[in-house]
Amino acid sequence: MGPTVLYHCSCLSSSPLPPPPHLPSSSYSFHPLHTLFFCEECDAVRCNRCVSIEVSSYYCPNCLFEVPSASVRAEKNRCARNCFMCPNCRNTLSVVPSDPPDNGGASSPIGSLNEPPFFLYCNHCRWDSAEVGITFEKPTGLAAQLQKFEDSAPDSLEFERLKEHSEPFLRASSLSSTIGGHAPAHPSSAAHSHHAHSNSITAAASAALARDIPGVSKYNPLARSTSGRGGSGKDRSKNKDEMPEYRSRVEISKPSATGGGGGEADVELMSHLEDIGYIATLEQRWVNSWVSPLQTHELKPLRIPLHSKRSKRCPACAHILIKPEQKAQSVKYKIKLVAATYLPAITVALPHSQRSSAEAAKRSLAKSTSAAIDDDKNSTSDMQAGKTYPFHLALSNPLYDPIQVRLSVQRMHVSTASSKDGTSSEKARRPPFAISLPTSTFSVAAFAEAWEYEDDEDMFGVDDEELGLKGSLATDGRGKLRTVGVLEKRANVTIIGGEVVIGKEARGNVKFNMLVSYTYRSDDPAPSESNDGDGSSISNLKATATKQPEVKTFAFYTVVDLGHIIPREESRTDLDL
Amino acid sequence: MEPPIYYLKAEFIETDTGNKVSRRATIAGPQNIILGGKTIISSGAIIRGDLRRTGPGHAVVISLGRYCLVGEGCVMRPPYKTYRGNFNYYPMKIGDHVHIGAGSIVEAAQIGNYVEIGKNCVIGKFTIIKDCAKIADNTIIPPNTVVPALSLFAGSPGRFVEDLPESTQDMVEAQTKQYYLRFQALER
Repeated sequence: MGPTVLYHCSCLSSSPLPPPPHLPSSSYSFHPLHTLFFCEECDAVRCNRCVSIEVSSYYCPNCLFEVPSASVRAEKNRCARNCFMCPNCRNTLSVVPSDPPDNGGASSPIGSLNEPPFFLYCNHCRWDSAEVGITFEKPTGLAAQLQKFEDSAPDSLEFERLKEHSEPFLRASSLSSTIGGHAPAHPSSAAHSHHAHSNSITAAASAALARDIPGVSKYNPLARSTSGRGGSGKDRSKNKDEMPEYRSRVEISKPSATGGGGGEADVELMSHLEDIGYIATLEQRWVNSWVSPLQTHELKPLRIPLHSKRSKRCPACAHILIKPEQKAQSVKYKIKLVAATYLPAITVALPHSQRSSAEAAKRSLAKSTSAAIDDDKNSTSDMQAGKTYPFHLALSNPLYDPIQVRLSVQRMHVSTASSKDGTSSEKARRPPFAISLPTSTFSVAAFAEAWEYEDDEDMFGVDDEELGLKGSLATDGRGKLRTVGVLEKRANVTIIGGEVVIGKEARGNVKFNMLVSYTYRSDDPAPSESNDGDGSSISNLKATATKQPEVKTFAFYTVVDLGHIIPREESRTDLDL
Repeated sequence: MEPPIYYLKAEFIETDTGNKVSRRATIAGPQNIILGGKTIISSGAIIRGDLRRTGPGHAVVISLGRYCLVGEGCVMRPPYKTYRGNFNYYPMKIGDHVHIGAGSIVEAAQIGNYVEIGKNCVIGKFTIIKDCAKIADNTIIPPNTVVPALSLFAGSPGRFVEDLPESTQDMVEAQTKQYYLRFQALER
């Protein structure tokens, strides 16, 4: 693993400042840039942890059929066509005719002569459904053929009974929640209020969440809705707890009657066990909602669960960030607001390890000693305590306007943070390393489609050569290494040099928070309006009306991980060896 | 930023469309293989264009799109089956921006665009891999498996692990293009 840069999303904490990077829990607040979204309305970064998700379509991952949402519920979220999963290894099963596989020899038995009966066969573990007595007259509509077995299974009977039992209750609560009208009153739930109408289960859940709890004062986002609520709240509480007790179809204390095994029968089986493979593993058994057979040879094929395509919304303003195309296997999006198109992408590199690995690669081409490369990599990519290393940050601008960037390392509260757990290590009182970065602003040129043209590779190649030359010339000309500052600009990428001084007693990783703020010319005519977003957003959007009215500043935090420090003792032993 | 990957100029043949094919790769039946351009065939790879459908006429056995990479020691072999008593090979179609890691064996029927396949994988016969999917290193995909778009598969047998981020397409495109640029001849 090389050095990495992760971006901060402040959704987990109330303060816009990121947590100190040396805490293990801080990793939950930092994400790779490509997984983040950007809400234009709030002017803020959003991550997968904070966006709200809606299912936009369902499809079967095997036959890729798009399942309408009505039949999703009827089929219990599973594919109702020909798709089955091996109960043994979870592989997809294929339908094969019953002419014996051995006449095909080494070739697969699929479709040689097509003789009924058909059965399901696993290409991976060679399980077949004939083992459990499931065969089919024709190779299509398998789910329909199995339907009658499934409908008579104890779990589906129990589920039907439970559904029947709660049906009047669900209907009553969905009715009261729509009449009570608390859903449209809440601004953010207005968007999914139509769900409440269509889906009685969500309605029941929201009604249950919103119901009065004795002794607990009701939370109300809007004061005026309290008065309108009194009447509806009364009649809801009336029908709320009038649910009759549910009696299950079979007594669970008598499991042998259902074929679920248990008790004496299982003990008997276990005592005569010869091979552990006869017993179904926990993984094979616990995906089912009902007691499933203990023995491997009694497992039934499973219908494949459906997958979904999801659209994502900003948690604060409910604007859509991701909206996929309806077609199940399309990878295009109608709306796609990802952070990579708004924030500059930052990559970090350690020139000392890169140089050595490149040289090693060249050398290996000449001598073809592959073992030598690994040795070199191990020794040079890590940093040793008590030394100084340069590092490069490459910022690439995705915007069509040039940006002015300023980098600053966040003041680390290492002294305070480590004093909490500092009883163990008194060395950690001093910051283990110091980072120096250029303090002045620098520009990153605009992204232009021209850079994307495919015939510019010669230019890139030349640039790389020049970079090497320039670097060496610069060091020779000035006599000393110039590492901190703007090193190179090309296309929409600017490379910044920084330096890390590692303390003598340092250990762990060189990891620091870096604030990146950039200014750009905005096309948005009304920046003041989006300024009144919630305080938790990290954006400190300012309309600086000094020289240009449409200049905007956006700031975000990143954590830069340069890699592992080799402690002093360790490196010394390495040398001894 | 990434350092270039050097190769000896003598080892690779570069075509007009920018394909780079190692002289140490085994290309059987080259007349039945299509490379889209800027595709790299690494050394030690075996591509079986000779396993063609029986019958007269010209047949495309393996087609690869643009910016593909066939890693070192990969085996690309068209899938076969006996259908109605006749043994036959079936063509293999691979889209653009597809990287196949070193040591993998591929017998897929169809691989979409922007697909990443890791090292030492086995992609079973007649597997269909849709766009932007990713197969982790050391994964065994059994025959006839369908890998849906934007999903990560791993394990043996390969199973769905997670959905990939929405920006996968852009990332894979940038990565594969970058890889082609980094793959440079070492002049001597």
